[in-house]
Amino acid sequence: MVKLGKYSRSVSIIGVGCTPFMNFLDNPATEGLSEGEVFGYAALAAMEDAGVEAKDVDFYFHTQANPYMGSDYITPNMQVADWFGMRGKGSAHHSEACCSGYLALDLAVNAVASGKFDVVLSGCVDLADSLPVANMPAHMRRKFSFEEFIVSTKLIYDRAYSRPLAAGPMIAFDDVAAWYTHAYGLTDEKMDDILNAAAINNRRNAAKCPLAINRTEFKDLAKENGFDDVMAFMRSPFNPKLSEYLRISGFETKCDGAAAVIVCPTEMAKDFKGTPIEVLGIGNAAFEGSQAHLEMRGTEEAVRQAYEVTGLTPSDIDLFYANDFIITSHLIAAEIAGYLPKGEGWKYIMDGRTAYDGDRPINTNGGRASFGHAHAASGMADIFEAVQQMRGLCGERQVKKLPKHTMLRGFGGGQNLAAIILGALN
Amino acid sequence: MNMEPIVKRFYTSLEEGKMMGRKCKRCGVVEFPPVIACNGCSCTDMEWVEISGKATMFDFVLPGVMSTRPDNEFLQPYCYGCVELEEGAKFNAIVCGVTKKTKKDIVPRLPVPIKARIVQKDGYKTVVFDLVKE
Repeated sequence: MVKLGKYSRSVSIIGVGCTPFMNFLDNPATEGLSEGEVFGYAALAAMEDAGVEAKDVDFYFHTQANPYMGSDYITPNMQVADWFGMRGKGSAHHSEACCSGYLALDLAVNAVASGKFDVVLSGCVDLADSLPVANMPAHMRRKFSFEEFIVSTKLIYDRAYSRPLAAGPMIAFDDVAAWYTHAYGLTDEKMDDILNAAAINNRRNAAKCPLAINRTEFKDLAKENGFDDVMAFMRSPFNPKLSEYLRISGFETKCDGAAAVIVCPTEMAKDFKGTPIEVLGIGNAAFEGSQAHLEMRGTEEAVRQAYEVTGLTPSDIDLFYANDFIITSHLIAAEIAGYLPKGEGWKYIMDGRTAYDGDRPINTNGGRASFGHAHAASGMADIFEAVQQMRGLCGERQVKKLPKHTMLRGFGGGQNLAAIILGALN
Repeated sequence: MNMEPIVKRFYTSLEEGKMMGRKCKRCGVVEFPPVIACNGCSCTDMEWVEISGKATMFDFVLPGVMSTRPDNEFLQPYCYGCVELEEGAKFNAIVCGVTKKTKKDIVPRLPVPIKARIVQKDGYKTVVFDLVKE
């Protein structure tokens, strides 16, 4: 059993940046943006937030879920440095698909905690709504079909056994929903209502988040389509089922975006502009896609490590984020982390208590279905949101109690898991 | 260094009608599908064993619009099951014979007995399971 050691020195986030999550090709103001520019804008926003310039940054990490397909690159960190003034500085690329944004923070923190660097930037980008046009300059991108997208998703699964056994990649959509329904004696109809309520809560959050892609509340969409009862709308063909339990309202909205973070030793953090947020501990786990109930098993292990190394307990956590590209994730992750009581979390969701204005807020930016999902960048967008919430800067979607501790549960990439605990400095 | 091609032997064995796993000589864990080292105790001293095919399904989901693949149509009706072999290995696999209609009878009886079967895909053989009548 892995026992994490304490960091050799405390590390804090001093700057965060995040672009709007949107489809850049659809807007004349953003059409033509290349991945290097988008990464650069997020990195520069993080630098401005921290009050540093590129010359002050020692090293950067870069992540993109599938740079070969998405950008026609295999070493994309090499292609972005010049865009934000870091020509010649050391860098590295990593990819854990949809878990990348969480491990981007993990890598940056380790690089500083080790003593090797003082100021490290970690950035994440994906233009998930388009593909590069072959043999043309980087500003030329094209839309692509669902069939092309599906070709790439299988690449996160093992070629030796998982793909030939043919169940691992497919069970992922409903594995947790089925387990939860059976384990707690719910009906399929009740589970449907729970997942619809989760989508409604997420959308209420996104409606107040200017960077989110889907901001029209479901109650308004219901009215537009002739429904007085929003739940009747959610159960209707306007919200079709994609698999046994998952409806389109609970599935990721693929889009473009980038986010970045800057970290430094906590003892230096007061010298910079941005209000620092300490990274207290990060737990890790990983299971190949054919392993039964892997999300639950991996979350249990990552959360266990994070609580053990920080000495915190579930009652210390004020705010929770989970990669919910399949919306069931934010229910199960919050229960495993002890943020919601086991087997009872669905009641909190049904009562709206997990929305930004509830007493157990989750995914205050709207989550993957409503904030949008730019694969590698989404975890870092959650970190951006968590930091802004802990600084009290989220305006009308600010949670009621200024969070002292926030947990973020990462998940993705066939499948990696992470549990990050951030702490406010006194 | 003995670098036995384990994946190749697994699929070659399926062509011969045998489902092969690897048993740890130290702790007895059976890895299926087979791998180099034991995930129970980290031992690398493993031996090939033929699995019986007897198993149970302890959870499952039905395929939907986005979770259905055309190359599995010949197996319909089926579900995606969480499977445990009698030798102990747990993994996700296709389990045939489960429908929306029979689901409500199966759920209260979980785990239910199943039996492995070798099937031909386009260019290789793989393993699926069938419900066993109790």
